[in-house]
Amino acid sequence: MGEKTQWRIFLSLPSTMQLIYLIDTVISDILREMNFDEETQEHVNLAVIEAGTNAIKHGNKEDINKNATLEFLIEDDKLTVVVTDEGPGFEREDVANPLEPENLLKSSGRGLFLMEACMDEVVYEAKGTIVKMVKYKQRPNL
Amino acid sequence: MQINLRNKGNVIILDIEGNLVGPNTIALKNIIDDQIRESAGEPVFMILNMERVQMMDSSGLGVIVAAYASIRRNNGRVVLLNIGGNIRSLIVMAKLVTIFDRYDTEAEAIASFL
Repeated sequence: MGEKTQWRIFLSLPSTMQLIYLIDTVISDILREMNFDEETQEHVNLAVIEAGTNAIKHGNKEDINKNATLEFLIEDDKLTVVVTDEGPGFEREDVANPLEPENLLKSSGRGLFLMEACMDEVVYEAKGTIVKMVKYKQRPNL
Repeated sequence: MQINLRNKGNVIILDIEGNLVGPNTIALKNIIDDQIRESAGEPVFMILNMERVQMMDSSGLGVIVAAYASIRRNNGRVVLLNIGGNIRSLIVMAKLVTIFDRYDTEAEAIASFL
């Protein structure tokens, strides 16, 4: 049996939105290396940017003295991304569903929804200050 | 992010180039807000040409949704031109597909305002 490949990459950023492009650059390269199909690359890229934006903007309130940390765990069959911020956290159930008719025309509030729609698993830990997202190379039968 | 503003008759066309992600979206928001302000309450007819936009996140989506809501308030319309597959799927995911009219040619988009 072949040995399982596992790579762990860390990215720790001061909380400024000017550095979002770095997240885009790193995740784009990882997804290409992992040979995800083009559509999946776009979805995961979007989810990771949304999670990074949430950590920097909503979690750390763009305080450059606080860091947003992204950990990428690359395995043969899946990519796991763990995004951590230093903010006070939030309750997932307090965030309104952007698909409800009364929320459709709101200019914000779609980030978590898009993360959850684009990834196979999204788990919020430590009051939402840690977000763990998984994308499988082939989605497992549930 | 580059945005070129053109007018064809009373139609405002914004040619957008670059990714509508994070802080990049502020430039688009400012240009749209300026156009709405300059219209002084008259209906605004606007085409967002997204042929050269590869990626959009929730911030970008928020800007075009806000534009739709503001422009509609004064009986104007904003439509999307030349959106790629990834942006189309984002709009579908966000259930905004019935909100935004989408066209593949500028002529069709302009004709939709007549």
